[in-house]
Amino acid sequence: MQLGSYQISVGWEVRKKQTPLLSALTLLGALGIGLIWVGLVFVFLGVDPLFALQKILIGSFGSLYGWKESLTKGIPLFLISSGLCVAYQAKFWNIGAESQLLMGAVWSTWFGLHIGASLSPTLGIPLMFFMGFLGGAFWGVIPAILKVKFGISEVISTLMLNYVAAEFVSYLIVGPWKGTTKYGYPYTDDLPKHLLLGTIPGTRIHYVTLALGIVISLLLFILLYRTKFGYEVRVVGESPEAAKYAGIDFFRTSLWIMIISGGVAGMAGVGEVAGIHHHLSYPGNISAGYGFTAIITAWLGNLNPLGSFLSGLFFAGILVGGDAIQISLRLPAATVHIFNGILLFVLLAGNFFLNHRLVVQLRRK
Amino acid sequence: MKKIGSVLIVLIIVGLLFGTLMGCGGKKETPAKEAQKAEQPAKKLKAGFLYIGPVGDYGWSNAHDVGRKYAQSKLPWLETVIVESVPEGDAIRIIDRLVNEEKCDVIFTTSFGYMDDTVKAAEKYKNTLFFHCSGFKRAPNLGTYFAELYQMYYLNGLMAGVLTQSNKVGYVGAFPISEVIRHIDAYALGVKEANPKAKVEVRWIFSWYDPAKAKEAAQSLVAAGADVLAFTEDSPSVIEVGQEHMKKGKKVYTFSHYSPMQKFGEDSVVSGQLVDWGPMYVKILTDVYNGQKDFTNYDLWWLAAENAALLGGEIGQPINPKFVDLLKSKKIKSKDLGEMNAYDYVMKRYEQVKANQFEPFTGPIKDQKGVERIPAGKKADPAHLLSIEYFVDNVVGEIPRK
Repeated sequence: MQLGSYQISVGWEVRKKQTPLLSALTLLGALGIGLIWVGLVFVFLGVDPLFALQKILIGSFGSLYGWKESLTKGIPLFLISSGLCVAYQAKFWNIGAESQLLMGAVWSTWFGLHIGASLSPTLGIPLMFFMGFLGGAFWGVIPAILKVKFGISEVISTLMLNYVAAEFVSYLIVGPWKGTTKYGYPYTDDLPKHLLLGTIPGTRIHYVTLALGIVISLLLFILLYRTKFGYEVRVVGESPEAAKYAGIDFFRTSLWIMIISGGVAGMAGVGEVAGIHHHLSYPGNISAGYGFTAIITAWLGNLNPLGSFLSGLFFAGILVGGDAIQISLRLPAATVHIFNGILLFVLLAGNFFLNHRLVVQLRRK
Repeated sequence: MKKIGSVLIVLIIVGLLFGTLMGCGGKKETPAKEAQKAEQPAKKLKAGFLYIGPVGDYGWSNAHDVGRKYAQSKLPWLETVIVESVPEGDAIRIIDRLVNEEKCDVIFTTSFGYMDDTVKAAEKYKNTLFFHCSGFKRAPNLGTYFAELYQMYYLNGLMAGVLTQSNKVGYVGAFPISEVIRHIDAYALGVKEANPKAKVEVRWIFSWYDPAKAKEAAQSLVAAGADVLAFTEDSPSVIEVGQEHMKKGKKVYTFSHYSPMQKFGEDSVVSGQLVDWGPMYVKILTDVYNGQKDFTNYDLWWLAAENAALLGGEIGQPINPKFVDLLKSKKIKSKDLGEMNAYDYVMKRYEQVKANQFEPFTGPIKDQKGVERIPAGKKADPAHLLSIEYFVDNVVGEIPRK
């Protein structure tokens, strides 16, 4: 651009170092801008923004009730997103966590209804989670093989496999697996009582899955940052060429990445079936889009399993708090999406500004 | 790790901020709320409604919301709260909120999938009344209600039978559950009565709301020779397919489903099924208001007789005026009514079902395999209809099963 005798150039420069202070300020700034923006939307809708935000926060983290529900909703989110962190650090774009969750639900439901019925809970429940892990891992390994052996983009294959899995679940519940105790409705029978996950009294928090989620987040953090495998994952992500020269087996690493990422999502599916629904039902019921929301929370957590634990919890709170928008504020359900969308937009934009710097240069010709 | 640290710091700061915000204006839950409720004179009633879909859909949830608004307009002491698009797994959370935060006296859960959560909630909140739509589990504070349309499907079938030229009548089905199977059977019984040669061909789409799939299924039925279409799906897609063909000069008649959809296909929609939940909500809420306490045997199953099910694709028009003359030029014959023109015949049957003088499911009724399901002269009882899992003999297509 010309301005008199000056040449102006505008561009982005990658910020190499992010101090904790800068990160904190960015996040605060982003949240601040987001809240003002959301507040304006509320004003526009004729609702007192302070009252609205207060209601949303009481509903998410400002009351015991809110915490209970935020945790319940957070379990699948942080489980899945901690697994996605591993995949995304290797730049393996797994968009299929939704279907990996469903396949985990399918495998564990089958196990619970057939083999698990005659097992004790101490054996049956861990095996059910193991089956869920296998189900998700199996579904995750397919795109890994397709990518490495046939060069098929994993974005496409994982995305498309979501539809395959959803149709498969629909087929099972209206066809061969349709329950005999459900009056012709498309659900499987309930899992045997002794295999249902216990909940913290007075809540819907299935504590086995919650504990698993916390442990897995920690383990994956250690795996990524403290082991050779984690190093390899990150090298593969940074530069596949360098990985090749360093003797890293790309195929083997990709397989493991998807076994972990898919398997963990599959375990989230076990939690939803055995902890919340107690049977397999419509795919849209088993997962309220957790596999997709977890993509967001993985990125919000900076692809760090521990970070995604926090962001998963935070996002669950937003989803649960969103109920207040409908119930207490009498606004349509779509407002919840606007609210979530705005928060997401500012948080991701904040991340961008944290990693990049706007450079404006003024040069005399 | 640094990033995590900073995230934590921010979360703490934000938490503190909100803590103060809430401290300023937050209303604390008090344990005395139950007592308060008991002291209040029973002058006002607050009802909460859970909907499975958005109220702006063109089917189930919208129809319930129209009913709620009707009740609101009729009952000055009524206050209502709605929550739309509630996934089945989240029902209990929303109920908690409606009871604890909104202090609802009555809660309506309007999807079969909410049943178990509603039962749990009824156990948990003994002082709140629950009404579950389409379920069968009841308790002292939990009643059930349903508006059933099968008689209308039967009447639509009569018209479909006389209108088809190809003797192939199509049906786009949502899910192969008893409710939909019952509707297809009723429709097929109507078709058979008017035209014993015609067959009903079914396509499943495995979704309650999927305009693209419904359209595809309708197109494939037309391609297979069907020239009359009825359906169960919460959008006017099937009607739009009929209308497009009509515009191109190919006759494809359709029947509107659930909501008044005639306006989406003026040249194609002959009639349809309409639901009216309004009077039912008024009845339930009035019973509650008048002090009924025990709802263990409260099971409303409303049909044409109670005006919960209406004939037509547009309110006040049982048959699209455009097709009245066409129907008058056709004939239907039966043992009990003799021969009449199709319009009068349908209207006569409509009068009969409204007066509970005629049951479409009267034997002999055979299933697709030729097995007699209802013996000659016998009428199906509600239990038979509720759990029906077979197609009658003039239906082509399968019920997916084991």
